[in-house]
This record gives sequence, C-alpha cells and structure tokens, in this order.
Amino acid sequence: MELVLTNQNYCFGRYAAALVAALVLAPRPASAQDTVPPSPPMSSTGLSGYMDLHYTKLEDQDGELDFHRFVLLVTHQFSDRIRFVSELELEHAFVEGLEEAGEVELEQAYLDFLLNRRFNLRAGMLLMPVGIVNERHEPPMYYGVERPMVDTVIIPTTWFEAGAGVHGEVGRGWRYRAYLTAPLNAARFSAEDGVRDGRQKGSRTNLGRAAVTGRLEYVGIRGLTAGTSFWTGKSGFEFRPRFDVPVHITEADVRYARNRFEGRAQLAQVAISGAGDLNDAVARTTGVNPNLPRTMRGGYAELSYRVVSGARFGDIGTFVRYEDVDTQARMPPGAVALPEFDRRFWVMGATYWPEPDIAIKVDYVHQTNKSSVIKAPNAFNIGIGWWF
Amino acid sequence: MTRVFLLLAGLGLASLTTGVAPSRAQSAGGGAKQTVDIIAERFSFTPSEVKTRTGTTLTIRLTSDDTAHGFRIIGSNVNVEIPKRSRGTTTVTFTPEKAGRYTFECSQLCGAGHSFMRGEIVVEDPK
Repeated sequence: MELVLTNQNYCFGRYAAALVAALVLAPRPASAQDTVPPSPPMSSTGLSGYMDLHYTKLEDQDGELDFHRFVLLVTHQFSDRIRFVSELELEHAFVEGLEEAGEVELEQAYLDFLLNRRFNLRAGMLLMPVGIVNERHEPPMYYGVERPMVDTVIIPTTWFEAGAGVHGEVGRGWRYRAYLTAPLNAARFSAEDGVRDGRQKGSRTNLGRAAVTGRLEYVGIRGLTAGTSFWTGKSGFEFRPRFDVPVHITEADVRYARNRFEGRAQLAQVAISGAGDLNDAVARTTGVNPNLPRTMRGGYAELSYRVVSGARFGDIGTFVRYEDVDTQARMPPGAVALPEFDRRFWVMGATYWPEPDIAIKVDYVHQTNKSSVIKAPNAFNIGIGWWF
Repeated sequence: MTRVFLLLAGLGLASLTTGVAPSRAQSAGGGAKQTVDIIAERFSFTPSEVKTRTGTTLTIRLTSDDTAHGFRIIGSNVNVEIPKRSRGTTTVTFTPEKAGRYTFECSQLCGAGHSFMRGEIVVEDPK
C-alpha cells in the first residue's frame, strides 16, 4: 500500500511574532511515502500519571504508612510543533493550611515550541535539568522506596521553578538544556536539609536576578546516559538590606543499563559564597544561626541486577546503594561543622515488577553519621509505585 | 571526591568518540533496503539519528527497555506502539521519496521527560 502525504497546515497566528518567524523559517517535514497501513490520528490530549505508597519503619519508632505521591500528567498537542505538558502532584494525600499535612504542587506546566531537533524553546513551570532523578522520577524507574538522599538535600528533587529556556540535540545523542529561572531562596537553607527548603516552586517567585541552569548529556549508546549539570544564582533577595549570596550547584552523573544489569553514580556539590554573612543575616532575622556551610557535597553509587527477567509473573531485581552526604563539608571562618549532618547510607533491597509499570519495593537503610552523640536511625521500607 | 567528579565528567566526554552507528543491511533485487534497530527508553531513542537515501525501504525494528512508547514519524502515517519491556518488537517500514529531515517522536505519553523523546531520519539523494 502506498500513501502520498502532504505538508500539514500550521496555525501560528496566536503566538508572538518572534516565535512565528522562527517556526516558519524552521524546516518542515518533507513529503513522505511509506508502506505502513494508515494508523489512527494521534490524540491531541493525553492523560497519564503515577502514584507512590510507602510504609516506613524507623528504628525505635512506630511504622508510618503514607500515600506519598499522587500525580497526574495532562498534555495537549496544539500542532506538531507546539505542545503543552503539565504535571500536578498531591503529596501525602491530604492538604491543610501551611502545608503541615501535604502539598499540591504544579511541578510542570510548560509550552514547548519545537523548532527543529537542534534548537527548541520552552517556557512555563520547568523541571530543573539537574541530576538523574529530577527529570526521571517515575517510581518504577528507580530502585529503593525513597529517592537517594543526595537527590533530596543537595539536589532538591522534585525541583521545579518558573522560567524559560532552550533545549535540543546535537549530533547523535548529545542533548542540552539551558533555562533562566527563579533563584533559590538562601534564607530557607538549613544545615540538615541543605538547599531543599529554598525552592520557590513558582509561587509568586522573586525574579530580581534570574538563575541560570543547564545540562549537557550523552545518550548515544544504548543504555548509557552520562551527563553534567549546573545551576547558578544569587539567592539573598529576601534580606533587607539586600546582599548577594551567590550559590553554585554542579553535578555529574552516569547511568548504564544493559539486559539485567544497571549501574548508576552521581556526584553533586553546592557552593555558597558569603556563607558567614548569610548565617549572620539569618540569625538577625530569626534569632537562630542556621550554621550553613561554604560547601555541601554528596554522591552515591548503585548497582542492581534483575535476577528474574521476562518471566510470566514479572521481573525481580536486587540492588545495593552507597551514599555519602555532607551538608557541612566546608564551613565559613568561625563556624564549626555539625557532625550529625555528615551522613553515610547503605541501602539494599529488591523490586518486584509484576508488569513493567508496577513496582513493589522493599529495602533496608543502614545510616551512620560522624556524631558521637546523635544516633542516625536505620529504617525498613516497603513501597508500591505505578505508572499508567 | 573532586577526582571522582572529574572522572565521571571525563567518562561522559569519552563517550563522544564511541558512538554506535545503527546496523544496516542493503540487498540487491528491486529497491535498496536498509534495516535499523531502535531502542526506546525513558526518555530517548537509541540511535536518535538514522541516515538513509531516497527510495530506500527502511525497516525499523522498535523495542522498549521499560514502559510502552509510541513511534511516530511526523509528516507520514507511521504511528505505532512499542510494547513494554520483554513483550516483543514492533516493525515498521518507511520509504522516503524526497530528501530531507524527518522527525520521529514518542507518541505515547511516557513520563515527565516525554517531550525529549525525538530523533531524525536524515534522507539524502543517491550520489
């Protein structure tokens, strides 16, 4: 069967003049002929989602059952070149004032203007392109009930901000993203949770000075993703009088999966310039010195193996992960590091996939720190996550 | 840790020189034929660039390493589902008559990075 196709019509009249020009000048799909029976037209609106239910038993404490994440993705394709992507998340199942119980978060909501493979525009609520997990966080895709601690306090996943930028692929497998976004708020950083609470989350964000973030990654070999990311911004906007708190986050990661084996590793670092002045400013404002460092560091290495693959009842994989996270790595003059925040984690466990989009997980977390006084509790976790 | 950091960055750069070309086969008898295997996983196709010539019948074998994906060549009627991991391979054929760049993409919402799943078939005229 042969079918001759013609160029499609695009309606760009509603969009900004610059984008119109770029879209018109970009190469359009050429006419094509093929031998495949016609398939039904694409649905222009898509609905999908994932969910994550956790049971956590910390040492010497009662167990806790938490419907951690309920996420819906809605997409709409205006044309082959313009599409909308959104991700709305309900965390911890229940929301009341001041986020004590849970949160509703708009983690993604952007328009993609797809000009060509090498250069595209994106604007809206964006996932920061930093690390392995932040852009790739569906529960069946990673081992362990909880995300790595590095992806919690050094890279504050899920990390999203309002902004705009460019992305594309150059050559065979080299991809890049570069965005201008709202900066982190250094007034919310802490010794225990790192930069995590500094996310503005696109809610009436301060944009006095935009932050810059980007990622370069190579995906040209089957199963391999190797990338490096950065984020840089001035995060002292909440203080009066205002002063600069330059923050730089750098990261490198590699992931390789082939057949039953998968290995991944990631290193990340946060550098805070003027940490001493930042501590003084927070102490003046809140009455508590946050003991923030000049440098926070974290890294992990993980190996996993599918002991059962392709069986009628599903797949079973086991993993072990070692993490080293220090949110007090280098302190400013006059400050002393708190040893309980220099932490090590051994995480080992298994995942059962009754089908590829459902993951039933179990793991044990052995945690230590450098403190001789404050003991780090070990934990046993069970989780079920699914994607549809 | 700085050394390990640099090692990881170096590993990524080293991979620049080790790109794998798609497998190709060409046979006589009628029009030229070419076969390529494309692996889909969140959120990339490997390879993401395929080169062929006008009039060549391109057979594309599609396999997923994780969830179900779609494979759609924009401007053509090729739009198929790639089954989930361990559930088989989808095969499509595509015979471009004109030179140009044909974008293919995942046509089934597969996660937060779904929009990154794009690639190109680069079609050149025979010399």
